[in-house]
Amino acid sequence: MPFRRLATARPFFTLGLVVVGWLVVPIAVKTFLRASFFELTAPVTIATSYAGGAQDVWALRLHSQGELIEAGRDLTRLNSSYEFSVQQNTELQGQIARLEGLLRLPPFGDYRLEHARVARREFSGWWQRIVIRKGRNFQIPVGAPVVFSGGVVGRVTEVGALTAVVELITSPNLRLAGVVEGDTRPISFQGGLNPTFGPPRGIVEFVPLDVFASPTATKRLVTSGLGGVFPPGLTIGEITKADLGPDGLFKNGEVKLDERLGSLTEVTVLVPLNPE
Amino acid sequence: MRRTLVTFLTLLLLWALVAQVNHVLSALHLYLFVGALFVGYAALMLPLRDGLAASLLGGLLCDATAPVAFGTHLLLFAAAHAVIFHLRDRLPRDDTIARLVVVLLANLGLFLLLSFSQIGRAPAPAAAWPRLIADLLCSQVFLALVTPWFFALQFRVLVLTRVERDPLA
Repeated sequence: MPFRRLATARPFFTLGLVVVGWLVVPIAVKTFLRASFFELTAPVTIATSYAGGAQDVWALRLHSQGELIEAGRDLTRLNSSYEFSVQQNTELQGQIARLEGLLRLPPFGDYRLEHARVARREFSGWWQRIVIRKGRNFQIPVGAPVVFSGGVVGRVTEVGALTAVVELITSPNLRLAGVVEGDTRPISFQGGLNPTFGPPRGIVEFVPLDVFASPTATKRLVTSGLGGVFPPGLTIGEITKADLGPDGLFKNGEVKLDERLGSLTEVTVLVPLNPE
Repeated sequence: MRRTLVTFLTLLLLWALVAQVNHVLSALHLYLFVGALFVGYAALMLPLRDGLAASLLGGLLCDATAPVAFGTHLLLFAAAHAVIFHLRDRLPRDDTIARLVVVLLANLGLFLLLSFSQIGRAPAPAAAWPRLIADLLCSQVFLALVTPWFFALQFRVLVLTRVERDPLA
């Protein structure tokens, strides 16, 4: 009878051994295991991403020549407006450099733009991240800001040999300092409200009392450039609500983020040229 | 050893397929969690040592690709494996419906435990539950559809690699 009892308790005895064993495993072994399993999945992620890309190419080949001509014409118009913007940008960069020289201001951090294809997206209720198809092979550093045409995407949190993981701003793990466009007072932003089928949302804290926002009169929240890796002026989202906080000194509110964050296919990593 | 490795390869395939489904569903802000499938077949059908080793490797695979403390999935999968293995002699484990029920209950437990361990980081935990419940419902429906196929796949792969014998052969 005792032997039978022992036999039935064997799975739990083994579980106890696993738990104790895991607790005493050195951190170095755990780090090595994590890196090994991460790299084990990288070829699978990249292969499926390339397969998806090939599928898209073959789907595009089915388009008629008329559609291609139309797309080319639209692209030409877009290019001419971008060329004009580039000229303006060069002029503004020159002005900034002159002012920095005159006022002896420290220069803004400079970045190398590294465009990367999104290989995998994860948009769970617990965390939101993407895996991009560039890693240490393109000198992507941990902590680098990631952007897209709609503004801030997130921050690089893990870098592998061929891939890197980007934590999205919708994730509750990511906090950053923002300002209302045209204002200089910093506001704390945190992601984390991601309803099914709806646009992702985040929360803002320490909003000054004279900032008013409602769903019909939103305020644009941009990065402040303070105490973080993000350069100033990048769009975070639209503040749709700002109510008086429990302390009465500041307001708390909600921010509507870009809906495209859940379906990103291409992003840009801002790689600092002179990391401190 | 071979049984563990072959089972782990099927888990790697499962991970890749579910990652692709989640990639597509991300535009709808939906996420499928199928943790119990990483444990189900190994706990119900394989010997303790080989099955547990496969479940632990599956847990490490999930841990390496998720922003959780390394070992979270490993310990959750080990606990689920121990419970299912303890109960398996009292279950009609050759019956598809019984297997499905075990996997669905195990997935519910794993999902809730993982949710409770992660929800503290959300700025408004109560507001996160509707989303989590939607994810859970979709995951359970998905599991109900794929569990018979995945169990059959794991069995067939073990037969093809001559780890198991086909009773019908």
